[in-house]
Amino acid sequence: MSKSNIDITVSLHGVLRINKFKLEQRTYPANTRVEKVIDELQIPVKLLGIIIINGVHANATDILNNGDTLMLLPLLEGG
Amino acid sequence: MKIETTDPVSHPELISYCRCTINLKTGAQKIEHVPCKNLEDVLGGFGRSFQMLAELDIDTAYCEENPIIINTGLLTGSSAMTGLRTYFSSYSPIKGSKAGKPAAMWSAGSGKFGAKFKWAGLDEIILHGRADKPLYIEITEGSDGPLIQLKPAENLIGLSTHDKVMTLYKDYDNAHFAAIGQAGENWENNYAGSVALSTVNQLKTGEDKLRFAGRGGMGSMMGYKNVVALVAQSEDKLKPITEAVKNVHTQVIKGGGAARLQPIKRGGGGGTWAAYDVMQPFHAVPVNNYRPQGNDLPEKLFRENVEKEFDIQSAACFRCGITCHNYISEKNPDGSRGDFIAKFDYEPLNLLGTNIGIHDARQAGKLIYLCDNYGMDAISIGVTVSYALAYNERHPDKPLFNGAHFGDYEKIYELISGAGEGKLPGIGKGSMRLSEQTGETDYAYHIKGLELAAYLPETNPGYCWAIAGGHMSMGSYGTLIRDGKSDVDSWVDVITQDKLHIVGFDMIGLCKFFDITQGIGTQMVVDCLKSDFNLEIDPAAIKAAVRRSFLLGLALEFRQGYTKSEYCLPAEVYKDPNPNIKLPNVSSPEFMAELADKVWEVFEKELNGILPNCK
Ligand code: SF4
Repeated sequence: MSKSNIDITVSLHGVLRINKFKLEQRTYPANTRVEKVIDELQIPVKLLGIIIINGVHANATDILNNGDTLMLLPLLEGG
Repeated sequence: MKIETTDPVSHPELISYCRCTINLKTGAQKIEHVPCKNLEDVLGGFGRSFQMLAELDIDTAYCEENPIIINTGLLTGSSAMTGLRTYFSSYSPIKGSKAGKPAAMWSAGSGKFGAKFKWAGLDEIILHGRADKPLYIEITEGSDGPLIQLKPAENLIGLSTHDKVMTLYKDYDNAHFAAIGQAGENWENNYAGSVALSTVNQLKTGEDKLRFAGRGGMGSMMGYKNVVALVAQSEDKLKPITEAVKNVHTQVIKGGGAARLQPIKRGGGGGTWAAYDVMQPFHAVPVNNYRPQGNDLPEKLFRENVEKEFDIQSAACFRCGITCHNYISEKNPDGSRGDFIAKFDYEPLNLLGTNIGIHDARQAGKLIYLCDNYGMDAISIGVTVSYALAYNERHPDKPLFNGAHFGDYEKIYELISGAGEGKLPGIGKGSMRLSEQTGETDYAYHIKGLELAAYLPETNPGYCWAIAGGHMSMGSYGTLIRDGKSDVDSWVDVITQDKLHIVGFDMIGLCKFFDITQGIGTQMVVDCLKSDFNLEIDPAAIKAAVRRSFLLGLALEFRQGYTKSEYCLPAEVYKDPNPNIKLPNVSSPEFMAELADKVWEVFEKELNGILPNCK
C-alpha cells in the first residue's frame, strides 16, 4: 500500500454476490467514499439496502479508512 | 360497492357495500347494501370489520355470538396490482389476554378468491351462529346481485386444504375457493387453523400452490362454525388498465420494496426468501427457537445453496408482477423440473426450517407442505414446535410429547401431523398455553398470545405494539437491521408514526409489497382510486383512517383484558441476552421501559373514547 492508498475488505451478500465475490481485499486511493466502491463494483442501486462499515451502519457518502471492512447487503423488506 | 360520490371523506354514506349476513343455525340470510359510516368502512378489510367486532362483548372465541367477517378491500378485484386480498376477522381462539379473553384479530391472504368474491357482487359476508352440519358457501352472480347458498359438505370433511379446493373445482368453472384443512376441522384441539385461498397456478397445475390467511386461527373459527369452504364463481371483471394505473404499476415494480422481491433473472433479489442473506451477517436469522448460535448453519437454506440441488421457480398470484414467492421442485437428472415440493416464503421456511434445527431444504419443504395441507399457520405451529424442542433440550429426562429435539425431522413431522389431526392439543393450542402448562414461559416466543414472525425480538421491539401479528401489523422489523436505528426516540417515532401504517394494506385490498415503505396514504393509491372509481381523496385522509383503525385495534386489546405488562418481549431476551447477535441492543430492560413509557405517552391520549358501547 502506498501512502496515498488504503486497503479495505469488501464483503458482498445475497444477490449482490452474483458473478462477483463474497469477500475481497481491495485497494483504493485515500479519501475514497463508499459510493465509489459501489459504482466500481456495479452494484445495482435498487437492490442495495444496507451499508455497514466495521459493523456500524453507514452511508454511501462516508469516507473509507485504511483497514475498514465494508459490507454491502441487499434490501430487507419483510417476509 | 355502489359509489355515488367522488368524495369518500365528506360523503361516505353515498358509498355502500354489499353485505350478506347469514345465520348458520337457521340458514336465514339477508343481503343488503349498507351505507358506509366513515372512510374506514369505505376502505374495507379490518378497518370495517374491527368496527363491528368492537360492538360485541365476547368472552370466548368459540361461542355462537362471535361472528366471522369475511370481506375484501376497496381495491380487491380492481385493476391495481396485488388487489387480491381477502380478510377474515373474528375474536381469535389463539390470540388472547392473560385475563383469558380472546383478542379481535384479522388475517389476510392473496390468491384469486377475493377478486372472484368481489366480482360476484359481494363485499362482505358475516357468519353468525354455528351450523349443525358441515357446509360450504356458494357465492354466484345473479341477475340482481350475488346469490348465496349453503351446501352440504360432508364429502369434504377430512380432506386437506388442497384436496378440498380440487374437489370443489371439479364442480365449479370460473370459480375460486377458500378452504380450511383438517386442523380447522379439529378446532377444539387446534387454535391455529388457517384459511387456504386458491390460486391460478394451483388450479392450472393441480399442485398445492395455495396462499393463506394464516394468522389468528381464522380457519379454526371456520371449523367451529362448521363452514369448511367458500366458492366464489363469477366472470372476471377487471376494468381496463388506464395509463395512470400503468404508471403506478411501473412504480410498484421498480420501487424499493418490490425490487428485492422480483425474480433474480429480472434483476431482483429473488422473493421474500432473500431475507436470510440480509440477516445472517448479523447472526439475526432465528435458529433453534430464536437463539442464533453465531455460526453459519442458516446458510444451508440460502438460495445459492438450495438451487444446487433443487429447481426454483419464481411465482406470483394473478396479474402480480412482484412475484414474491418461490416454488421448489425436485431437479431431474437432466436438469429439468421434477415433482413439486413446496412454496418457499421466508416465514414458513425459517420457522419450519432453521428455527427448528432443520437445515435440509427437502425436509423443510415437506414440513411446509404438511402445514399448508393441514391448513395451519406455519408461524404459530412452527414456533410452538420450536418451544417444545427447546423445552426438550432443557429436560432430556422428562421431555414433552415424543421427545423430539432440534433437527429431528421424523419426530417433528409427527408433532406437526399430530397437531393437524387434532391429536396434539399441546402443539395445536399455541406456545402461550403450552408454556403456561409447563411453567416455563420465558422462552415461549409469542407476544400477547400470538407467535412471533421470523425476526428476532432482539431486532424488533415494535412487535409489542403489533395488533395482529408481528410482521403484518407493525412494519418495524427492518428498523434496526436495515436502517440502523438504535436510539429510543427513533423507535418511538417508528412505532407511533411510520410503521403502524403497514396495516392500511389490510384495509384496502393490496399486498404490503405494493409500497411497503410508504403504506397506502400515497399518490399511487390515490391514482388507483381515481382511475377505478373516480374517487378524489387526499393521501392524508387515507393515513388518518389507517391510524384510527390501528388505534381501534389497540383499544380493543385493552377491552379484552390486556394490560400494559403484556406488551413485552419474551423474557429470555432480557434474562439471557444472546451474545451472538451482532447488532446494537434495543431490547434491554432499560431500553424497553423507556420505549414503553414514550410510546404509551403518544398512544394513550388518542385511545380515549375510541371504543363504542358493546351491544
Ligand atoms: S405480492 Fe406476492 S402474495 Fe401479493 S399478489 Fe403479488 S405474488 Fe401474490
